[in-house]
Amino acid sequence: MLTIADKTFHSRLLLGSGKFASPQLMQQTIQASGSQLVTLAIKRLELNKPQDDLLTPLRALKIQLLPNTSGAKTAKEAIFAAELSRDALQTNWLKLEIHPDPRYLMPDPIETLAAAEQLVKLGFVVLPYCSADPVLCKRLEQVGCAAVMPLAAAIGSNQGLQTRAMLEIIIEQATVPVIIDAGLGAPSHATAAMELGAAAVLVNTAIAASSDPVAMASAFTQAISAGRIAYKAGLAATQPHALASSPLTDFLAAL
Amino acid sequence: MHIMLNDTLLQLTAVSTLAQLLQQQQLNTEGLAIAVNNNVIAKRIWQEYQLQNLDQIQLFQIVTGG
Repeated sequence: MLTIADKTFHSRLLLGSGKFASPQLMQQTIQASGSQLVTLAIKRLELNKPQDDLLTPLRALKIQLLPNTSGAKTAKEAIFAAELSRDALQTNWLKLEIHPDPRYLMPDPIETLAAAEQLVKLGFVVLPYCSADPVLCKRLEQVGCAAVMPLAAAIGSNQGLQTRAMLEIIIEQATVPVIIDAGLGAPSHATAAMELGAAAVLVNTAIAASSDPVAMASAFTQAISAGRIAYKAGLAATQPHALASSPLTDFLAAL
Repeated sequence: MHIMLNDTLLQLTAVSTLAQLLQQQQLNTEGLAIAVNNNVIAKRIWQEYQLQNLDQIQLFQIVTGG
């Protein structure tokens, strides 16, 4: 069971709701994945366009909705987005993300820490998207974040665990759940993240932009489960040279 | 009274509260959030929130995103 703040979840997959071809496909994919935490965004309403009814099918799934602050470039903008999202969804859960540069979408650590500290004081359950920086993750934890969400690679890049060595340190030091976010492009990447001891992973592009999101969600779910079991079982140590797994006797030397 | 609604200037007649404005604009309030003059106005007070001349009203909506 994954525990974040005062809630527990069976699933260790957080699913992003972006990039799906249709709301129906998104709903089917969430169901196939078993995910109980799904991210959403907020933006200015376009007055002359029809409003999609996105929330009715999502609420029917009885999942925890996790609005993000995507689009915010500063702590001030993120806090404004957070307050809007809290009112729109009537939840104090928040995925904090502040990435001013559109090319790499790297999270701004200084603005993120400042925003996290204020949002915790305002009563939010803050899950910050952040760099894979062990010092920053500890600081985010110390200001009261309910989890930390360090990146594996750039958002949407599908490059896998580029930050592996830093993630190992973050996981070793953390006393809140570490959710590996961004850049996981294949189920094998999710397995690797879980084998490291991550509490959960967040996936969006790799599932939503695949040819068959429903099947890919199922593949990720199984991969996460395999990685978690392997972590709990304890991986055998790596060795620089061969260690025989069968007895090496010299009885054949007599022939 | 004149207001700005997401950068569109509107002249309001027979509308005095935020809730009445939403009704007049035929907006679905599910997943909607509102700021007036850059302050978030909680849903629970839309019914009685009195609009003022030249208020800048911004409407926001929950959308998909990762």
